[in-house]
Amino acid sequence: MKQTGKGITSAAPTAILFAILLFSVVLLVSGNAAGEVTNDVCADCHDLVDAFANTPHGTYFADDLKLATAGCESCHGSAVEHIKDGDPTKIINPARTDQFGGDILCMNCHRGHEFDDWSFSAHNNADVGCASCHTIHGNGTMHGSLKKDPPELCYDCHSDVKAASHMPSRHPIAEGKMQCQDCHAIHGGQTAFTDGYSSKELCLSCHADKEGPFVYEHAPVTEDCMICHTPHGSVADKLLVQNEPTLCLNCHAMHFHATVQGTEQEFFPPADSTRITESHRDSWKKGFLTKCTQCHTQIHGSDLPSQTISTGGNALTR
Amino acid sequence: MNKIVLIVLVCLFALVAFGTVVAEESEPATTEFSLWVGSHYTDFTDSPKKVGEYNLGNSEALPEFKLNLLSRSNGKLFSLDGHYFDDQNINANLRAVVGDRMNLSVQYRSMIRQTEQDLLENIAAQEFAGVDSLGNDKRGGKMLTHAITDPGADYNYNRQEILTRLNILLSKKNNVRLVAAHRSILKNGTEQKVASDHCFSCHLTSESAEVDQRTHEIEAGLEAEVDNIDVGYTFGYRKFKSYTADPTAYFDKAMHPINITDTATQHEFGSRLIFDDSTAPFGIYPETERYSHKVRVKGKLGTGRVASSLVYSKSKNKRTDLSSEAVSGVLNYTVPLSPRSRLIARVTGARLTADDPFIDLPTFREGRPGPHVDFDYTRYSTIDRTEGKATAEVITRLNPKMTLSVLAGYQIIDRDDYPTPGNGLTTNRFIGQAKLRYRKGLNYTTSLKYRFEKTSDPFTSGRGLFEEVGRDRLLPLVDGFKFIFYFQREDLRYQNITTEPTDYHEFAWTSTWRPDPKVSMVLGARGKYDKNNDLDSLDVEHFSIQPNFALNLTPDPRVVVSTGYTYNYSKSRGPVAVALFDG
Repeated sequence: MKQTGKGITSAAPTAILFAILLFSVVLLVSGNAAGEVTNDVCADCHDLVDAFANTPHGTYFADDLKLATAGCESCHGSAVEHIKDGDPTKIINPARTDQFGGDILCMNCHRGHEFDDWSFSAHNNADVGCASCHTIHGNGTMHGSLKKDPPELCYDCHSDVKAASHMPSRHPIAEGKMQCQDCHAIHGGQTAFTDGYSSKELCLSCHADKEGPFVYEHAPVTEDCMICHTPHGSVADKLLVQNEPTLCLNCHAMHFHATVQGTEQEFFPPADSTRITESHRDSWKKGFLTKCTQCHTQIHGSDLPSQTISTGGNALTR
Repeated sequence: MNKIVLIVLVCLFALVAFGTVVAEESEPATTEFSLWVGSHYTDFTDSPKKVGEYNLGNSEALPEFKLNLLSRSNGKLFSLDGHYFDDQNINANLRAVVGDRMNLSVQYRSMIRQTEQDLLENIAAQEFAGVDSLGNDKRGGKMLTHAITDPGADYNYNRQEILTRLNILLSKKNNVRLVAAHRSILKNGTEQKVASDHCFSCHLTSESAEVDQRTHEIEAGLEAEVDNIDVGYTFGYRKFKSYTADPTAYFDKAMHPINITDTATQHEFGSRLIFDDSTAPFGIYPETERYSHKVRVKGKLGTGRVASSLVYSKSKNKRTDLSSEAVSGVLNYTVPLSPRSRLIARVTGARLTADDPFIDLPTFREGRPGPHVDFDYTRYSTIDRTEGKATAEVITRLNPKMTLSVLAGYQIIDRDDYPTPGNGLTTNRFIGQAKLRYRKGLNYTTSLKYRFEKTSDPFTSGRGLFEEVGRDRLLPLVDGFKFIFYFQREDLRYQNITTEPTDYHEFAWTSTWRPDPKVSMVLGARGKYDKNNDLDSLDVEHFSIQPNFALNLTPDPRVVVSTGYTYNYSKSRGPVAVALFDG
C-alpha cells in the first residue's frame, strides 16, 4: 500500500483526527465498530490480509471481540468509501503520522501506563509514530513486533550514536550487553528507577557506588556526570570527554612539582632498596602530568581523609 | 554452569506454567521455535586488553548457542530468548503476558569487563639538585617511586544483572494495577587498587583486590484511573554494598625529603599529615541506601493533557551516617493551540540537601617549633541546591508533510554553598531551539535542528587556576618564621575556571530515505560550537563537526546488514596553568 500525502487538504488532518477520536469512542462503547467491509473484500486488493492472521495482532487477539468482528476496520476505520475507488486518503492509515493523531488509535488498546507520557515524548514530537518502529502486518522480531531488534533499529535514525558506540571506550551496546532502552524511555516519561529531575540519577541507578553522599566530595560529580563523561562512546579512556590530565587541567592548576627537573640516573630511596627506578630530566613531568587518577584514585568522592592536613584531607587520594 | 542450569530451570518452569494455563483454556497456540548452534574463536594475543574490554578473548574455539521461543494464543503470549556466548557472557529474556491481566518480564545479562593493569612506570623520578665537580648530576631529596605487588595481574570482573518487571491488573474497575520491579547487579572479580604514600617520597603501591559488589533495587506501587485521571504511587528502595574486606596499606613514617637525617627537622612532614607510620584502609566503597516515594497524576486538563510527578528521596551512606535528601517535581502539559499546532510545556524543580559534617583534623605542625594552624572545618556539601527548569515548545504542522517546532526555555541552578559556603553560584540559562521536519510517508524524512543556550555563571572550579605574584603578599604565619607554606598559595589563586560554556550552538541535519521497507539510507551532519568569553583569562572554545552516512539492509527482521561512515572532527581551546612556586 503506497502511503503518500496526496489529496490531503489543509483541513483534512483535523477532520481525520476527529474521525479517529469519534471512531475510537464508538469502538470502546460498542466493542463492535465498523464491520461494514469484511476482511475478504480487503484481501481482494491487499495481499497482506491473509498474512495478518500470523502476526502478533492476528494470533494474540484472534478471538478478541473488536478485532474478530471488525477485522481490518478495527484499526483502519470504515472502508466503505475507500473501496469505491481505492483512494488511500479515504481510509485511516495509522502509519501516517501526518494524519496528526494516528498513534491515538494504537493507544486505544495499548493502554498500559508506560504509554501515558507518549504525547510528551521526543519520538512523538519528532513525528516518529508507532509504525516507524513497529511492524503491524508483517512478522517482526520476537521482541514485540519491532521491525528489527535494537540497537540496529535505533541506529536507523541515530547513526551518530552508532558511531560513538563503537569507539574505543564505550558502554557495551555493541556487545549486546546494554540496550538503548536501558537509559532512554522510548515511549516518553522516565526510565525505571529514576525520578526524572536529573540525568545523574540515571547513571547512579547502575553506578550506585558513586552516589554517596561522601565526606569528601568532587564538585562536578554532584553537578553533572556529563561534565567529565560522554555516555555513548569516546576516544578517551573511561568514557571521558578528554583524556587525563588535560581534562583535569581544564579546572585545576597542575602540581608545581611537575616543573621540577629530574636527575639523569638510576636511584633508590634510602628507606627501601627495592624501589630502584630510573630518573630522567622530564621524569617529574611524566609523574605529575600523565594520569591524575593514579594518585587521586577516589575521584568520585571518598569517605577517608587524604594524608595532608592543609588540604583538609580532601585530596581524594585515599 | 550453575547459572545456566538455573536459567534453564526458571525458563522451563515458566514454560510449563504458561503451557498449563494455555492448556486449561484449550486454546490453540501459535509457537515459533529456533535454536542456533555455533562456535566462536577470539584471540587478542597481540592486542592490549583494552581491545577486549568486554571480551576475554579465549584462544580456543568455544561453543555458542541461541534459543528463541515464542508462543501466542488468544490473549496470551510467552517468549523466551537466550544467548550463551561463554560462561560469563549470557543473555536471557523471558516474557509472559496474559491479556491485560498480567505482564511479566525477566531479563538476565552477564558480561565480563577487563581493566588493564596500570604499571605506574611513569611514577619514577628523583629531583635534580645540580651538578657536582665531576659534572655528574647530584641527586635531590624528592622522589617518585612505585611498587607493583601483583605484576602481570589480569584484572577483570564479571557483571551479572537480573531485572524483573511485573504488572498485574487487580481490578478492571478503575484499571487498578500492581506495578513492581526488581533489579540486582552483582560484580565479582579482581581490581587494581593503588595506595599513595605522601611522606618523604611520593610512593604508589599497587595491590590486587577482590571485587564483590551487590546492588539491589526494588520498586513497587499501584496505578489506577479515577475519572479519566491516572494516579500512581511507587515506593523505591536501592542498596549498594561491597562485601570484600577493605584494602589496607602501610603508610610510611613521614620524613623531610631533604633533611632526612637531621633530627631537628626530619619530622617536619609528619607534623603536616593526618596520619603516617600506620596501616590504614584505602580505596573503600561506601555502603549506601536510597529510598523514594513517588506520586504521579496524569490526565486531561481542559482540552489538554497533563502529566506530573512528585518525588521525595533520601540517600544514606551507612559507613559515615551521612544523608542527602531530594524533593523533586515534574509537570508536563500539552494542549492543542489550533487544529495544526500544539503546545508542550514542561516544568521541573528540585530541592536537594545533604548533611554537612564537621571535619576534625590534627593541628598542623603540632609539636614543631614555629606556627601551628588549626584546619578544622565544616564541609558544606556541593549537593545543596535548588534547581528549576521550564520549557515551552510549539509544534506546528505547516502542511501535511512539514512540521516546525520552536522551543524556548529557562533553567536556574542555585547552589547554596559552592564554591563559597553561604554564597553559592547561581547559574541562569536561556534555551532556544528550532526544528524543521519534512516527511513523505514512511519513505523519506529530513530534519534540521538548531539549538542555542546562553548561560550566565556556569558551573566553575572556584579559584582553580592562576596565581598572582605572591612573593610580597605572602608572609610567614608568625614573626621570625622564614618559610611560606604551600597551602598559603591558595590565597594567590584568583581565576574561576571552567570548561562549561556561556554560549552554546548546535545544529543537526538528518535525512533518511527508505526506498524499500528493507533498506534505509541515512545522511546527516551534526555540529557543535561553544565558548566562554566571561573568563578573566583566555577564552574557552570547543568545536566539533560530525558528518555521517549509513546504509542499512534488513532482508529479514533477524538479519541486519549495516554499514556507515562517521567522521568526527573536534577542536578545543582552553587554558592550562603551569604552576611556578616562588615561595
